[in-house]
Amino acid sequence: MDIKISGLRRRFGRVEALCGVDLEVPGGMFGLLGTNGAGKTTLMRILAGVLAPTGGRVTVGGHDLATRAGRLAVRRRLGYLPQDLGLYPDLTTREFLDYIGLLKGLDDDAARRRQIGELLDMVGLADVAGRRLKGFSGGMRRRVGIAQALLGDPALVVVDEPTAGLDPEERIRFRTLLAHIAGHRTVLLSTHIVEDVAQTCQEAAVMAAGRVVFTGPVTGIVDRARGVTWEIVTQGPPPAAGVVVSAVGGPDGTRYRVVSPVRPDPAAVPVQPSLEEGYVALMREAAVPG
Amino acid sequence: MRSCLSAVCRYEFRMQIRKRSLWISTIGLAALITVAQGDRGPRHLPAGTDAAVVMGSWALLFSMLLPIGFGMVLADRLVRDHRIGIASLLAGLPARTGALVAGKYAGSVAATAVPGLLVLCVAAAGEFVHRGDPALFGWAFAAFAVVLLPGLAFVAAFALVCPLVISAPLFRVLFAGYWFWGNMLGPDYLPSLTGTLLTPIGDYPASWLIGERALYAGEPGWLSFLRPEPGGGAALLSVALLIALAALPLAFAGPLTARRTSS
Repeated sequence: MDIKISGLRRRFGRVEALCGVDLEVPGGMFGLLGTNGAGKTTLMRILAGVLAPTGGRVTVGGHDLATRAGRLAVRRRLGYLPQDLGLYPDLTTREFLDYIGLLKGLDDDAARRRQIGELLDMVGLADVAGRRLKGFSGGMRRRVGIAQALLGDPALVVVDEPTAGLDPEERIRFRTLLAHIAGHRTVLLSTHIVEDVAQTCQEAAVMAAGRVVFTGPVTGIVDRARGVTWEIVTQGPPPAAGVVVSAVGGPDGTRYRVVSPVRPDPAAVPVQPSLEEGYVALMREAAVPG
Repeated sequence: MRSCLSAVCRYEFRMQIRKRSLWISTIGLAALITVAQGDRGPRHLPAGTDAAVVMGSWALLFSMLLPIGFGMVLADRLVRDHRIGIASLLAGLPARTGALVAGKYAGSVAATAVPGLLVLCVAAAGEFVHRGDPALFGWAFAAFAVVLLPGLAFVAAFALVCPLVISAPLFRVLFAGYWFWGNMLGPDYLPSLTGTLLTPIGDYPASWLIGERALYAGEPGWLSFLRPEPGGGAALLSVALLIALAALPLAFAGPLTARRTSS
């Protein structure tokens, strides 16, 4: 289910959260990277039909989100996991999924129950299906969230910051789950965690200040830092020029990796960049006026 | 639409009935008013009093305080979706907002009615021990339906919708103030809605069951056109007006919820 966005704008009072976003999302797993406040969540909410845009055009699978019929058609084929999803504490996991399933229009009781059972197995919550949701850990809550998003076998799954705040083990588990579900559908993963995109997506876009500043293969983000990523080992202070991406202390001094358009220190040597460094280089480019 | 409405209704009922505060507030307030009812309360009605009068009196007694608890526990039902962070998810589902609001209202009213009905049945059981009239149970249901339920339907609509405009704690304070001013403050003291057809305390229906003025129904005062003589017709009109008024805030619930979700 492809997504086509052109000139998308959204304003909240005086703040322009999206200022002319153009983006095409093909099928499969697609990453949307950006700092907090870049406009990712606003874009996700528009795609989910929760927010109306102030301007521009969005079509999802050929349905225009500007029309009521279009929004309804998309909602019927959408699985949405919002940022900071809350759950009803007085319902059990199974009850919650049953409730959402009914709201999604899954009226066949037997089919709905069977699907809930399969999803509970898939997200590893079958043994707590009868437990009330209050007291669930962050990771368990996200897994309930992804299970509800997958109810009805949606063609498009939109997940907003699903791994924020999770411990490393849960994060890896969640990423694996997302990659698994992307098999025959479009999964749009919005995150500010570069590693999540690096491990799960082949295609990605990067947003900054309400605009898309990059779109293409993930390797293309890495390319942005080629020739501007440096390493230096020093016992002195960190280099003044550029952005220090990592600093690892050792017996010879501190090993800094720096993104800088100019050599930050005579002793600095150019190195192969990582995705994170590519992302930092992109953000620096985006911050330069003009 | 129908299955969505019944799903919301069913699950809202389930969530509300599991709320401990609903049971604690209903049982606590019912116990309090039972103990504090004084010489004019239904416990002191003479032997041989008609079952309709006995249960009408009990329903009115409970109706003095129980709706305050109902309003308090219902005040978070719609805003809770925003507070706990599920409103965005619901807005992204194909379910219509109208069905969500109507289901939440019906489910939470039905669940809130259960403990109210139960305390009235307990009162009927207590009276049955003394009076031995099985008709008391039937009249308990009837009194609940005409005295307590319309008031609950009225209170629930405002309790669901007002916290979308003002904060739930502020609503609770204002609601408690309104309850005493609009239902129990005699019209002689201050201009108030007490004794009019619009009192959700159930004064008119209770007066009809009891066969005489139960509290202030029809007493002269402010808005005299809303103060007819108590009777069957006036009781019916009071119930109809309360239900019609309950529909008013509910009509705004959808747009208010949508506005809050999209802000």
